[in-house]
Amino acid sequence: MRFQISENERLKRTFQEIYSAKVRDDLGDGWQSDVMRRVRQAGPLKSAAGFWPAFESLVWRLAPVCCLLVLLLGLLFMRMDLDRGYDYLGTVTADMERSTLSELYGLEG
Amino acid sequence: MQKDPLSPGDTEIVRKVLDGDVNAFEVLINRHKVLVLKIVMKHVPHKDVEEAVQDAFVKAYLSLPTFAGKSDFSRWLSSIAVRTCYDFWRKAYRSREIPMSALTDQHQEWLEEVLSGESWESGPEHSTRSEAAEVLEHALGMLSAEDRMVLDLVYLEGRSVKEAADLLGWSTANVKVRSFRSRRKLRKILKDARQKERRAS
Repeated sequence: MRFQISENERLKRTFQEIYSAKVRDDLGDGWQSDVMRRVRQAGPLKSAAGFWPAFESLVWRLAPVCCLLVLLLGLLFMRMDLDRGYDYLGTVTADMERSTLSELYGLEG
Repeated sequence: MQKDPLSPGDTEIVRKVLDGDVNAFEVLINRHKVLVLKIVMKHVPHKDVEEAVQDAFVKAYLSLPTFAGKSDFSRWLSSIAVRTCYDFWRKAYRSREIPMSALTDQHQEWLEEVLSGESWESGPEHSTRSEAAEVLEHALGMLSAEDRMVLDLVYLEGRSVKEAADLLGWSTANVKVRSFRSRRKLRKILKDARQKERRAS
C-alpha cells in the first residue's frame, strides 16, 4: 500500500513534537569543572596567525588543482607516442657520444 | 540571558584565551552552555549528554586558533556542537552500540493509530508519547550516522538545508540529497513495520 502525503505530514508533526520535547533539565555543575580540567591539561594554545598556518591552508586549497594537473599530465603522457620519442633520443645521444669520443681521442677522420 | 554592555565580547575573550589566559575560557562556557546543552540534548541519548557536552567544549577550546572572528561565536560553537553529535553517532554505529530492538505490538498499534488518524486530533497522548519516541528511536537507529543527523536537523528540527549544511560543514547539495534519501528510508522503515503488523493481524 502506498504511503499517503497526509499520513507523512501527520507522522512528521508527531515526530517533531516528540523530538522537541527531548530537551530536559540542566545538567549538574560537575561537567563544567571537568571541561576546565581537560582544558588546563591541554595547556595554552598557540595562535593560528603566522606564516606556516597560512601556508598550510594555501597548500590544502591548491591540492585539488595539483591532483587534477597530475591526472591531466598522466593522460597526456599515456596518449603520447613515447616509443618513437625514445628512439629519437637514443639516436641523438648515440651520435653525440660517438662524435665527442672521436673528437677527443682522434680515433676517426 | 541579558548581556552586560560593559563585559568583554566573545571575540575579546577568545583573544585573551589565545594570549595564554586559559581560565578565561570558563567565561565562554558560562555564556554558551545553555546553547550547547540544547543542541546536544536533542541529538544524543540522555545518558551520553554530559560526555558529549564536555567533548564539544574541549573541541571548541582546541579549535579556538581557527576562529577567525568573522562570524558570530555562538554560531561557530553551534557548528562544533552539531559535529560532536555527528562524531558521537559515527563512533556508536562503528562500535555497533545502537540497540536494534524490534518494534513491539504496542509500537505497531501506535503507528497504525497515528497513520489512520485515530489519535491525531489532539496530538500524541501522554501514554503514547513513549511509544512514539521509541518508534522514532528505532527508525533512526536503522539509518546511518549521516542520514540520522540530516534527518534530525532538517526533518525534525525544521532547519533549512543551508543552515544544516553550515552546521555540519557539508555542501548544500550533499545535505539536499541526504535529506531526500533519509526521508525515503524512514518512510520505508515505517511502511515495513506497518505491513508486518497488518500481516500479523
